[in-house]
Order: sequence, then structure tokens, then C-alpha cells
Amino acid sequence: MSIAHFTRPQRWDSPFDPEMGESDIASLMERPLIAAINAETFPDNTPLAGILQNDTRIVHYKTGDIVVREGDYGNSAFLILGGKLRVFVDDYPDALLGRDTTGKKGFFATISQIWNNSIIPEVRDTEKYGSQTVRSADGRETRSRKRKDSNRVFVQDIPAILDECRTAEMGEDEIFGELAALGRIPRTATIFAETDATLLEIRWQGLREIRRFDDGFRRVIDRRYRQNALLVHLRETKLFAKLDEDVLGKVADATLFETYGTFDWQVSFKRLRSSGKGSVEHEPAIARQGEYADGLLMIRAGFARVSIEYGSTQRTLTYLGAGGTFGLGELYAAWQSGISVSHGASLTALGYVDVLRVPAQVLEEYVFSETASPAVESIAVGTRTLAEDALLEWAVEERFINATKSMLIDLTRCVRCDDCVRACAATHGGNPRFIRHGKTFGHWMVANACMHCTDPVCMIGCPTGAIHRSEIDGTVIINDETCIGCITCATSCPYNNIRMVEIKNRMGVALVDPDSNRPILKATKCDLCYTNPGGPACLRACPHEALSRVDFRRGALAEGDLS
Amino acid sequence: MNLARTRYLMVWLAAGMVFDLLLAENRSVRVHLGNPRELTGYWLLGVMIFLALFNLRKRLPMLPLGNAATWLTLHAVGGVLAAAIFLLHSGNLWPGGVYEKALAVLSYLTILSGIGGYFIQRIYPRLLTETGIEVIYERIPLRIGELRQKAEALVLECCDQTRFDTLGRHYLDSLQWFFSRPRFTFNHIVGSRRSQQWLKQQDTVVRRYLNDDERKYLDDLSQLAQQKDRIDLHYTLQGAMKRWLLVHVPLTVALMVLSFWHLLVVNVYSL
Repeated sequence: MSIAHFTRPQRWDSPFDPEMGESDIASLMERPLIAAINAETFPDNTPLAGILQNDTRIVHYKTGDIVVREGDYGNSAFLILGGKLRVFVDDYPDALLGRDTTGKKGFFATISQIWNNSIIPEVRDTEKYGSQTVRSADGRETRSRKRKDSNRVFVQDIPAILDECRTAEMGEDEIFGELAALGRIPRTATIFAETDATLLEIRWQGLREIRRFDDGFRRVIDRRYRQNALLVHLRETKLFAKLDEDVLGKVADATLFETYGTFDWQVSFKRLRSSGKGSVEHEPAIARQGEYADGLLMIRAGFARVSIEYGSTQRTLTYLGAGGTFGLGELYAAWQSGISVSHGASLTALGYVDVLRVPAQVLEEYVFSETASPAVESIAVGTRTLAEDALLEWAVEERFINATKSMLIDLTRCVRCDDCVRACAATHGGNPRFIRHGKTFGHWMVANACMHCTDPVCMIGCPTGAIHRSEIDGTVIINDETCIGCITCATSCPYNNIRMVEIKNRMGVALVDPDSNRPILKATKCDLCYTNPGGPACLRACPHEALSRVDFRRGALAEGDLS
Repeated sequence: MNLARTRYLMVWLAAGMVFDLLLAENRSVRVHLGNPRELTGYWLLGVMIFLALFNLRKRLPMLPLGNAATWLTLHAVGGVLAAAIFLLHSGNLWPGGVYEKALAVLSYLTILSGIGGYFIQRIYPRLLTETGIEVIYERIPLRIGELRQKAEALVLECCDQTRFDTLGRHYLDSLQWFFSRPRFTFNHIVGSRRSQQWLKQQDTVVRRYLNDDERKYLDDLSQLAQQKDRIDLHYTLQGAMKRWLLVHVPLTVALMVLSFWHLLVVNVYSL
């Protein structure tokens, strides 16, 4: 058999910015925050200079450009190299961020759809795009797509904004965005460039390595997290709720931060599912069955699978989401008996998981001794048949546990009349926002409709923030006016529920970008008819109540009843 | 009791009360030497218009006009109420007069097509789910075409590899007919297993003439035929669920037109 030689792809084969030069690195090395990092502690295959070379890029922002938006998911932190930035302290108008400000339709607007709907699908009023506050990174106002991240939303009238809204100034050598990047949590503030500014963008992989190899940097990041979020998080956790501030501070100081899985888990997940393989063997282990419990594991973001060895693989018992804990029962039993108790099940990362580990001795010293027996959710092992747990296993395997509003169709009721599809099309300019087809389990089908995920990976990397969560009800929506058709969201969605459509003007003529000669695309997906009175049209249109929007919550899955 | 059953129960009770009220009013008009048919006629027309509004509701999904499921419940129970009022109005099952007979025939056909559609929609989804596959109706011709191509490629490969044309000739004689388009439509409609029996027979009659290598090809071919049979079932049942409305709706339209003419004629000449 003949073979061909091919160099194994390496981590830094695709640098964040291929144009990062030696002079850039040398200049960065002189920055106080980076100069304080001990380059000697980095391994030979991951040197600090290599991280700067491959996991960072220098980005220039024009006055008014929005750098990060509150509520967006991002995978980068930023270090200010030059210029001034402003962070919004209070509320500000949503339209400022390129977000959809459309409210519920009124009576007349609803009725007028009857005659206003075009018979040609995906027709847009192109005049409204003229007012969109999007421009290219070089400052030229444009609607063309040069690079998928080359367009930005910008603040137009900075003096007025500074007058109307409370903001705080940020200057050189300040770092921000690291908690959202490492913790996969939404950005907590909106920051824009008050003057032309130069920033060092550090992608999360580089950030993780620096934090891993440099104690000083880790302490800075951890201290910021402890100050900003951990205390609040612990206080909201039932187990620690009754502790006084001093003790809570000690628990926070001792808590360790860990991340498992990769940020872009959807890529490997899609590959695995297309190959038809199960994923449990490929999931990073957080705790293994049979190992001694050394700390309480608290899920801060993402999902983790609780499973036991069964046959030649793992059997899923349940899954944990944000706020879930693992190992408390074992730790408490060990404290009571004085003998170490091993984990009765394994915990593995489903995608990207952010975990807090509270060491056992801290719990014994401050928590167990001060509180009554903690309520531990017992998982019934061996009392349920494989068939009873099959739905749960399927939902976890397909990552439907991520869904908050999954479109579930009961096939024993569905008469395949497509009234739901027609209703969706009628309320969305002639083209439905979902496909009445999808993965099936028994008589259930999860149709290809946006599930409005708990962990919406589609929102990561949207250059204009067009895809975002509605502040009213958390629905994931796309602002058509600021969507630049870069397909980032569509390729990121692990469930293929976002479709790119070619738009037309009011005359029904297809729009083509003169630069590239390619059609203008817009991302479309189910928006739960958030502007329509009465809620999702698909739900109301089903005469047989075959269709429902379901939160794949643990309780319902365990009971095997989704209706 | 689930929501749908509760809803049906409530609507049945309401329909019963309406009919009771109408009976009482009918009796009262009769006692006072009035014309009870005028009363029942207008009631019947009102109910028929309400039943027809369901179609309008379907065409205006963007408006908050209530759940289609509630509308369907009202439509189904209202249809039975309309049938009862019709009998009360006409006085017997087969009225006199050509025009009235035509009206009666249209009414019965509309009611029967409605009842038929109701049961089709109750039974067929379960039968489709039991096939274990799900296929979009509009894509079925494409799927059948793919299966036919696979089957023919398999038969050609068998002839090429085994140097025998027994399976090829058998395919041309019988299975080609099966793979060419959806088959056993009537049998699928009535829930018969005729297609399965036919496929088994095609397998049996040729198997004894094949060697071991050819039999492996026959096994693969039979699997494709089974897939095709399940898709045929989808084609037939999904088609029936879509097409019964093409009977029910035109009948309804014809009934409405004749009823309005009847109303006009009665008002001009009889009242």
C-alpha cells in the first residue's frame, strides 16, 4: 500500500493575524502588563513570544467604534495599547448597538401584513439599510463583505452620548473582556472608542495559556474574577447562602477555576455527528468514576454529562448545567465517616464547561461543620431500564439539552399538512424560518428550527452584534439591518438551524454586491414571532397540537414525557 | 384528562345546549303557528358560515385569531351540529324537490368527507410513524428515483460480478414495475399488507435459482424494496391527508352557493 507524507497540522498553523511581525512582538513585550509576565515559565513548545505572535492581533478602532457589546458572547480579551475607550455604566439605547429595536406589532401593522406581504420571498426595503450604523474597519462606510469581521457598528454622536449616558473612561494598558472570554459568559458591559484607539486582541486560547503558565497573570485574572463575580455566584448558591461575608471570602479565595473542552466545541461535535459516532468517549473528563472526590465541582457555564460505566461505554444518568454541582454527596459522606469516598459516577464536559472547584478541606472547615446535612440529589442507578433513559441519552448525545425553545413535533399527531410552515412563511416575508424535518426519536421529531440555546454559539464572532438576545425574553434574534451576511452564525450553529438567504429589493430584483458580484446574503432563523401579537405562528397554526416549543429540561427527560 | 379532550368535552356540551335551545325554540314557533323552517334555516346558514371561517383562519396565520386546534374542535363539533340542524330543517333524510335533493346530496357528501378526513387525520399519522422513517412529501419522487438508481446499479453489478443474469431478468420482469413509481396505493389506503406479501413472493420465487453470491445481491435488493415500500406508504397516506381537503372544500363551496340561492329563492317566493 502506498503512503503519502503530510506534516501533521500544528496549533499555530493558523495564526490569529498572519501580519503580526517581530517589531510588534518586541513592542508588546515592553508593555507593563506583558513585561510583568515571566517568559521563563512557559514551555519550549508554547513560548510567550509564540503566543503573542499567533494568538493575538493588533486592531485599530476609529472614534465611535463599538469594541464589545453588553450581552454578546466573545472569545477575546483586549489590552488597550493606545487611545481612550468609554464603558457604559448605565442604560443606553439599544439601537446604538446595531440591535433590533422593533417592538410588538400593533393592530394595524398586524392586519396590514395581509396586503403588504410580497408574493416574492425575502424582499427587503433596501432604503432602511442606509441608516445602519455599520462601517468597514478602515472607516469607509460600506455594505460589501470584504472580510467576515471587517465591519463594525459605531456610535454616531459621541458628545451627545456622553451627555445623555453615564460612562467611565478606560485608558492605556487596561485589560478587559477576559472574564467573558474565559468563562463563556455574555459581556457585562458595552465599550466604545472615544478616540481612535489601538487594542491588542488576545484570543481565548492564548489567554488560557498565559493564565496557565504565569502565576502573576493568573493571580491578576483570578483576583478580578473573585472581586467581580465569584462572591456573587457563591452567595447565590444554596450551599453557601447562609455563610457570613468573612467565611464566604475565605471560600472564594480557596476556589479554583477550571475550564474543560474547547470554545468552538460545535466544530468537533458536527464532525462527530456527521460520522455517526458517539461523543462520550471524546469528552474531556472533569471527574472520573472511582477517583476520590477532592472538591465540590460547580458548573458555572456550559453542560456536563454525569455517567457511569456500562457495558463497553458510558451510560448517561443525567446532565448538569450552570448552577449544577457534583461530588457533594461523596464529600459529605467522607467528612462524616472520616474515610475517603470515591465518585460513583463520572463527569465529562459536553462542549465547553467552566467549572469552579471548592476544595474538600474548605468545605469541611467552613461549610459542613456549620450547616445541617446538605440536600444531595441522588441519582437512581440501576432502577431504570435502558428504554426509560433512552430519551435522555438521545437528547444529551444530540446536545438538545442546550435548547430552551426546541420545536418538537409529535409525529403521531402531525398530519404533515405544513400549516405550520405556511404560517411561518406568512409572518416572515414569504419564506419559512424553519424546516419541518429533523432528527427523530420514537414518535418525536426535533425540527430544524432555532432552539434559542442556553449556550448560543451562533452569537460568538458576529462582527456587528446583529445576532443577539432580546432583552425582553431572551429570544435569540437577528437584526436584519446590521447583518452583513458573513455566515459566521450559520456555520457555528451546531444544529444547522440558521439559513442564509439571498435578498431582493422591493421590485423583486436580486441584490448583488458590485465589488464581488455575489448576491447579498442575510442570516435568517426562527425568532419565535417576537414582534407578532399572539406568539409563534407555527404553534397557533397547528390544528392537531402536534407542535410544541420545549425546554429539554432534565425533569421531563427523566420522566420520558416531553409533552 | 388532557387539554384536547377537555376542549372537545366543553365544545360538545356547548353544542348540545345550542341544539337543545334550538329544539325548544322550534317547538315554540310551531305552537305559535309560525314557520319553524325559517328559524332552523337561518341557524343552519349561520353555523355553515362559521364552519367555513376555519379556512379563512388558516389563511391569516399572522393575525391573533386563536389557536387552530380550538378552531378545529369547533369545526368538527360544529359540523355535527350542522348535520343535526339540517335534519331538523329538512324534516327527513330525503327531502322532496330536485333542488332540495341536490342540497341534501351536497350536505351529506360534505359531512361524509369531513368525517372521513377527521378519521384519516387520526389514524394515518400513527401508521406513518410506525414505518420508522420520515420523509417530506415533495421529496418522495426524488427518493424513489434514488432507490431505483441504487436497485438498478445493484442488479447490473450482480450480473457483472456473478456472470448470471437471473436476478437481472427477474428485476426486469417484476421489480422494475415496483421501483418505477409509487405502488399499492389502494392497499396502503385501506391498511392492507398486500405490498409486503407481494415483495416476499418476488423474493421467494427467484431465490431458489440463485447461487450464494447472487443471493447477497438479492438481500440488498430486498432491503431497497422494503425502503421503497415504506416510502410508498408515506406517499399514499400523506397524499390522502392532503387531498381529502380537495374534496371537502369544493363540496363546501358548492353547498354554500346552493344554500345562498336557496335562501334567495325562499325569501322571494315563499315568505
